[in-house]
Amino acid sequence: MSADFIQLLVGGILLGGIYGLAAFGLSITFGVLNVLNLAHGEFLMLGSLVSYGIFMGLGLNPFIAAVLVIPVFMLLGIGFYLALLKPIMDKPPHQLLVASILVTLGASLFIEDVTAFFWERPVTGISYSLPPMELAGVVISSTRLLILLFIFALACGMQLYLKKTYVGKSIRAIVQGREGAKVVGIPISRISALAFSIGMALAASAGAFYVTLFTVTPVMGIPLTIKYLCVVVLGGLGSIVGSVFGGLILGVAETLTAYYCGAEWSPTIAFILLILILIIKPEGLFGAKK
Amino acid sequence: MSPFLECREISKTFGGIEALTHVNLTVEPGSITGVIGPNGAGKTTLFNIVSGALRPTAGDVIFKGKKISGMGPARVCRLGIARTYQLVRPFNSLSTMENVLIGLGFGRTETLKKDKRVAEAIKILQFVGLGDKINHVAEGLTLVEKKHLEIARALATAPEILLLDEVVSGLNPTEVSQTIQTIQQIRKSGITVIMIEHILKVVMALCERVVVLNYGVQIAEGTPQEVVTNEAVIEAYIGKFDDTEGGPDA
Amino acid sequence: MNRRGKKLFYLVVLLLCLLLAALPWLGFSYGIVWIFLLAVYFTLALSYDIVGGYMGYMNLGHSTFFGLGAYTTAILLNQGFNLVFALLAALLLTAVFAAVVSYPLFRLRGAYFALATFGLISLVEVLTTNFRDLTGGSGGISTPPGNHMVPSYYLVLAVAAGTMVLSHFVARSKFGLALFSIREDEEVAAAFGVPTTLYKSLALIISSAPASLVGGIYVWNMTYISPNSVFGLEIALSPIIMAMLGGTGIMIGPLVGAVFITLVQEFLWTKVPYFHLAMYGTVLVLIGLFMPGGLVRTRFIKPFIQWLGLGEAVDYFKNADAERIP
Repeated sequence: MSADFIQLLVGGILLGGIYGLAAFGLSITFGVLNVLNLAHGEFLMLGSLVSYGIFMGLGLNPFIAAVLVIPVFMLLGIGFYLALLKPIMDKPPHQLLVASILVTLGASLFIEDVTAFFWERPVTGISYSLPPMELAGVVISSTRLLILLFIFALACGMQLYLKKTYVGKSIRAIVQGREGAKVVGIPISRISALAFSIGMALAASAGAFYVTLFTVTPVMGIPLTIKYLCVVVLGGLGSIVGSVFGGLILGVAETLTAYYCGAEWSPTIAFILLILILIIKPEGLFGAKK
Repeated sequence: MSPFLECREISKTFGGIEALTHVNLTVEPGSITGVIGPNGAGKTTLFNIVSGALRPTAGDVIFKGKKISGMGPARVCRLGIARTYQLVRPFNSLSTMENVLIGLGFGRTETLKKDKRVAEAIKILQFVGLGDKINHVAEGLTLVEKKHLEIARALATAPEILLLDEVVSGLNPTEVSQTIQTIQQIRKSGITVIMIEHILKVVMALCERVVVLNYGVQIAEGTPQEVVTNEAVIEAYIGKFDDTEGGPDA
Repeated sequence: MNRRGKKLFYLVVLLLCLLLAALPWLGFSYGIVWIFLLAVYFTLALSYDIVGGYMGYMNLGHSTFFGLGAYTTAILLNQGFNLVFALLAALLLTAVFAAVVSYPLFRLRGAYFALATFGLISLVEVLTTNFRDLTGGSGGISTPPGNHMVPSYYLVLAVAAGTMVLSHFVARSKFGLALFSIREDEEVAAAFGVPTTLYKSLALIISSAPASLVGGIYVWNMTYISPNSVFGLEIALSPIIMAMLGGTGIMIGPLVGAVFITLVQEFLWTKVPYFHLAMYGTVLVLIGLFMPGGLVRTRFIKPFIQWLGLGEAVDYFKNADAERIP
């Protein structure tokens, strides 16, 4: 294996980790609320911009930014939920679907347009680097490694949270069966708000890392959300862990495609993977068959 | 001479859970068979398998000599098995007429022409007592009306077997009697009925044979008298038999 | 009052139609372009609604059909084929495309389907941009020049009218009833014999036809398109917003929505050059929160429409035949 390939692989895994983290958040949101948040990509974008702002304004490195955005976006998330989602949550399934698409898509466009108005220049990657490391004769940027580790830690932390805390367990209960959770006395509305805000915060956090590697533009939100969709479907609807793996696969696939086929083809790979998994195994890699 | 409907060694596993284990059931044409058991016993799962909505993990469903357990619900419906749902699922924004028209238009092997369909739909709706509500939106009906609509929709497919899933649950005593009468009329018209039921009065009044399930296992089979006095059944049901009428649904 | 009111209303409608037909001779060249675009958006909105409203699957990628129709027509026109051939070929190609993508896409439901179809637009846009030998790439493609404004005006009005007829007959047909049942409860519909997989694909194919046709007419008239103009957000979302704002699942909804939005756009857009997308977004949010059923189902407008005798069109669950039988 050439050193180039390993670099690519690492880059792909890193990108995949970022995707996976954000998709993880989306999975939770969907599992709890039964609403697919089309504005999810916008949160990543906002997280990136905020992180950039923190870096430029306060000189704090992205790792700290990634942690800082979490509470900020959790608050934002709760606000978003209360204003836009709570009012429609009680509608019957088909109306909920229409209403949720309208509301989240509308929010997406709004956020995008307003952001584009105030932030005209695309935000280039933060150049924050540590000296590269050498591992088994291959040079790996230790920044990337650190980011990977951080994301991994964050994901593990999330898993622990879901397994051990009351909120976490409530979330899992609702995902498994909304009616049952109600019977047991779980405050659905409050937990939904929290779940949503966690999802948003994870996306924003992923964004903080995203900006260290890539250029961020205000219009990247919707294509990103579509990618998350591919990741979630790839991993399996209903499998939160699956979306992390889906993210990794997409990240690697995109990076390899960009290198071997040219950058203009990498946006297509997400969708091609989506179509493929729908044809081969529609319930996703980790999904359960009926 | 193969039996009318036979479930042979039906088993169904979901993930790690065995919903049904080696269930055997034979149904004679023109009969009314009851399927009872505590909650979670696997009754609706059995219905899902018979109607083709689910595939059994093991075992077969044989209808008039043909193995139907692999076919999808649409084919099974056209072959002559129709069902209602425990939690009513009418086509909510459509009128009662249109609900029935779906059954008429797609659930039969030979569909009628449009004008005949409408006339037939009205007949069926009158039969179940919804004759004056043919243009009412399904969503706005009362529970008992919705249940009767489901029956009408199922009847529209010209079934030979009608699967009724807790069709009287949540109804008040008058409505229960009404429904019992309707079911008896249905049987008179030659349709075989299999019904999942909790309410003892209904089971005793209607069913010739009763099958009892508990945790997916068949624990008894026989006439209602035999089953009710069966020890295993009583044990499974201690305190759970609901021979008081169910209250009106919310 | 009722009878006369209705007669009066239909008379007004007839006059409007005559006016539309005569417009090119009256010298309002701006008005013609305006109505041309309105008809394009309206046709897209109405054809979208067959899948989005009747069947309940929000195909946010509906404009893919438009773009495909446009590009196919453009390429064929440049090869020297006449318009009719080019349009028919575009129709066929788009129909095949619809059939092919329906296979994987309809395995998704609800919001996943919506998002995936939305992604389809970008995919096709990227493919179009990358195959630049065929399509001219991101620079766009030009077709043989010529002023086709008047004939394309009539053509597009004909297609729009035809789409209204199509939509009306689908809604009243057994096929349409099946689509409604899929929207209401797909699992139960299948349990009662509705061939859901087949019908879903058919619905998509049928909805692709008007879209590809107006795409072809559009490029013939404009003589130039680019990936952004036919696969962009505006053409993707406007028809859907129109359908949703007016009233989804009802034939008259997209009409009301199209007129409403085009009027608003006309007066607002020129006054406020920014924040167009944000305004769209706000409209979407407001519709979603307060009237997901659209304008025609609101308390004020619904009775008016019923009074007009288009009640059937609004209360799409009413079956007129049944009422005639005693």
